Amino acid sequence: MKNQATPQPEQDFNRRDFLRGSSLATIMAMLGGVELRAQAPDAKEEEKEVGATVKCGVIGLGARGREIVSTLGRLKQAEISAVCDKYPAFMKRGANLAPKAKALEDYRKILDDKEITSVLIATPTHQHKDIVKEALQAGKHVYCEAPLAHTMEDARAIAQAARAATKQIFQAGLQMRSDPQRHFLLPFIRSGALGNIAMARAQWHKKQSWRTPSPNPERERELNWRLRGETSTGIMGEIGIHQLDMASLFLNARPISVTGFGSVIHWNDGREVPDTVQTIIEYPGGVRLIFHATLANSFDSDYEIYYGSDAAVMLRENKAWMFKEVDSPLLGWEVYARKDTFYKETGIALVANATKLLAQGDKPVEEAPFTNTPLYYALEAFLTNSNEMTTGVQDFKDSFNINDTKALEKYLSELQMQPYATWQDGYGATVVGIKANEAVIKGQKITFQNDWFELG
Amino acid sequence: MRFQKWAIATALFAAVAVFAADTVRFESRPGSKVKVDGTSTVHDWTVESQIVKGTMEVPADFTSNPAAAAKNTKVEVTIPVRSLKSGKTAMNNIMWEAMKMKDHPNIEYKLLELTPKSGGAQGSSAQFDAKGTLTVAGVTRTNTMPVTIEQVGDGKAKATGTTTVKMTDFGIKPPAPTVGLGFIKTGDDVKIAFEWRAEKAAGVVPAGPTDLKVQ
Repeated sequence: MKNQATPQPEQDFNRRDFLRGSSLATIMAMLGGVELRAQAPDAKEEEKEVGATVKCGVIGLGARGREIVSTLGRLKQAEISAVCDKYPAFMKRGANLAPKAKALEDYRKILDDKEITSVLIATPTHQHKDIVKEALQAGKHVYCEAPLAHTMEDARAIAQAARAATKQIFQAGLQMRSDPQRHFLLPFIRSGALGNIAMARAQWHKKQSWRTPSPNPERERELNWRLRGETSTGIMGEIGIHQLDMASLFLNARPISVTGFGSVIHWNDGREVPDTVQTIIEYPGGVRLIFHATLANSFDSDYEIYYGSDAAVMLRENKAWMFKEVDSPLLGWEVYARKDTFYKETGIALVANATKLLAQGDKPVEEAPFTNTPLYYALEAFLTNSNEMTTGVQDFKDSFNINDTKALEKYLSELQMQPYATWQDGYGATVVGIKANEAVIKGQKITFQNDWFELG
Repeated sequence: MRFQKWAIATALFAAVAVFAADTVRFESRPGSKVKVDGTSTVHDWTVESQIVKGTMEVPADFTSNPAAAAKNTKVEVTIPVRSLKSGKTAMNNIMWEAMKMKDHPNIEYKLLELTPKSGGAQGSSAQFDAKGTLTVAGVTRTNTMPVTIEQVGDGKAKATGTTTVKMTDFGIKPPAPTVGLGFIKTGDDVKIAFEWRAEKAAGVVPAGPTDLKVQ
């Protein structure tokens, strides 16, 4: 959907259409919900002029690393200078996705390359720490996949290094923090449109083994780091972290405790990590999030629902819907909004359109305005922010005394950044993920201690 | 040989000293600000930069003797176009493109002439009409604007001023991006306001020949 300059088609509805549309909409609104849509970017922004390209290197070319490489390939700002993996098969597959990039075995060669300003790290979680620290030391902007680390010590070391690197961007791979659809929903949910939030539920269902086969036992062990207790943070840390982080963002609070359960139900192949988990995450005010995830069944995939006394909101991929209670106050606009049916309920599409006229009337808006993946937006933010930071430091250096640290840090802190998961976000979410996994493994309740979140 | 070297050096530095003895050189410091205000058919807009690079050489007694200051003041200022920002990425891109940033990354200002305003000197500040050249998007135009130069604390100066210019004078077509349902048209006139903070440069201008090290 593109908004062109010509307003006529949108206004070209006749009275009968209008009456029909609105009366139908009124009935639908009485039944159920509204789709919440984020403001569509205008045409100019979609085709925005790309300032400078950012030379980047991707370290770790497993499935996630390759997804990063191919997403970067779609971003005009990205110039993939090098890709790196010490496993030749992965290196080759990664290099195929970025034919112009150098294919390297040793990540230090990326760090030594002065031309490369930004690195993206998608190695197994337990290998993040040293690479992140060295990359920051080398002056690179760093995008590090979530969770940041598999242990509290490593997570803290990474966060401390990121905190010290004041002239660099450190972005945690919590991509939903950069998703425009979620940024549109954030004030909507936080402003109390749902009434009193009673509870939340999130799920992630996907039938997949997580095991990567290899004829070489040593390689097999290394590839399947996610299945071993000593290197894995399990489903909670590797997957649940994203939805738990979103819940903390929407509920505007840090969890108080986590209670977990987990079993190996289906993939009984000697793994040490449960393939099915249930957790209850407690937030202030008696609000609890129920999160369940399984590798044994894929029904209904993944989504989050926030339940309030006036309405429930469901977030699913790049869409969201509101399901109103009959006694909730009328917001007004939902009368005209698009409706979709789920199970027995009718959801009001929560996708705010740039042109309200388009969202109303009887011309259906087929696509949500933001059709890219959250990863796309996260990487776009990383590149834009990296460039912003690099040029900001350069401008300051050219004009003032770069050793005036206080003024420099003030200036850099006022640079306009696209929303991204900072080291604070990444560290907090990693702590929650690690502890949630621990709760699952032990089948216990763990109360979060304040000092776990402090870096000292 | 040695004598000759000495003689040349001494003569050179003496010449500098005559000029330098009563001239203070100020350099940009963080805390400076440039604000550009414009209009459009939808709403007014503002872009800002905190990066104002430059130097000002001014007689030490500029506040008490504005007439002398008028003759001997030199100002050169550069603002990187990319440091001018609004709150919106889309708008930044439209603005940078309109200002032809790729070919002309900087806005430049050079002072030509200062004219003291009558009764303009008060305490630590003095007011002038500043005539200078302003270069935007590669086009240089002469501009005259009222400027106040102030001494703020020891060795610190602040210059403030406001001027209105036309985009079209600099060959910039007022952007008319297609946003939402229709055209937004920006107005040709923009108001530039600046607050430039500078500090006495340490050791750049010698206080006198005795301070010179000649080897």
